[in-house]
Amino acid sequence: MSCSPFSIDDYFLEELSAPQARQVEAHVKTCAACGEELDRLRILGAALRSVPDEEIPQRIAFVSDKIFEPSPWRRRLAAFWNSGARLGFVSAAMLSASLVVFALRPAPAPVVAQAPGASTPAITQASAPSLSRQQIQDLIQAATDKAVGERSAEFNRQLTDMREQVSLTSYSLEMMQKRYQTAVAANYTLPKESVAKPGDRQ
Amino acid sequence: MIFRAVEDADLIRQAAKGAVEAYNLLVSRWEKRVYNYLLRITGHREDALDLTQDVFLKAYQNLRKLDDPGRFAPWIYRIAHNEAYSMFRKRRPETDVDEIEPGSTDNSITVGGSSVFPVELSLAVASSLERLSPEQREAVVLKIYQGFKFEEMAEVLGCPVSTVKSRLYTALELMKADLAPVRTRGVS
Repeated sequence: MSCSPFSIDDYFLEELSAPQARQVEAHVKTCAACGEELDRLRILGAALRSVPDEEIPQRIAFVSDKIFEPSPWRRRLAAFWNSGARLGFVSAAMLSASLVVFALRPAPAPVVAQAPGASTPAITQASAPSLSRQQIQDLIQAATDKAVGERSAEFNRQLTDMREQVSLTSYSLEMMQKRYQTAVAANYTLPKESVAKPGDRQ
Repeated sequence: MIFRAVEDADLIRQAAKGAVEAYNLLVSRWEKRVYNYLLRITGHREDALDLTQDVFLKAYQNLRKLDDPGRFAPWIYRIAHNEAYSMFRKRRPETDVDEIEPGSTDNSITVGGSSVFPVELSLAVASSLERLSPEQREAVVLKIYQGFKFEEMAEVLGCPVSTVKSRLYTALELMKADLAPVRTRGVS
């Protein structure tokens, strides 16, 4: 039974606070039995650490693994899609389309008005002169911007989901491939001495 | 002093958002430690490698559940512990885990030793570790080789700190007795 103020084992295992450790150090200087016990633990620790860690036989994953690199077209698509040009491009396309549709319509411009008792705006011909062409274009622009924003948000969300799925699938495939290679190497590789060289045949 | 350009916690946050490159860097930092932990408790290189791959795949799939990136070490070792014991149970479902021994002699860890220590000592250490129960051996591995604190070990092993201490103290006593003759011949 140790007469140390704190456990010699805990001191050896570095689980004591600094003041507690100092008390143990002072004690073992004056107590031969506890000093020997600590020596035994230190020798045991040195013996255990004499069996070093091994290098892992094959890496689990590499940052530069080809399987994790996107294809060239995907890189270009991602570069474009992640750039500031994305919204500008989509907005311009939608605006152009709406202007073309508006210009080609032969009928007088419809007017947005609130019908009595209706919760949504109704289009009537009666009040057609009350809105100018500019106001109508503004309304179209606002609707276009809203649609572009919604579609962009939805597309981004889907793209993020797809990226996560692709990453996970790629990682799973990599694991399976490495496991297969390990199994093949372990079970189907002939020992060197059993492989006859052409020059050995006499 | 060596500075890490990016801390593990940053990599974990990025990886949780789907950055595979960040996760690969994290794996490259931890794979050797996790592999050696599994190697020392299973005694088989192939098993240790397979389990290591499973551990990092499972960790990737569950990274978003890790609330505190600062607790990554005990978290990933907990996964490794669970994977190893799951494998033990699959192989011998009718056997209690206490009775499961590590790898056979053919596949057991080769103790090459270092130039500082005699090979005899390394062999004796490996033999002494094999004589411990799986729980005692794992406690020694987590403490001596992986440097965990008692609380972290309890988290990894899923048991109270008192149990961790009990296993470790018993293991140390057994190993001191085992290695005493070698000590007098090899090191002293």
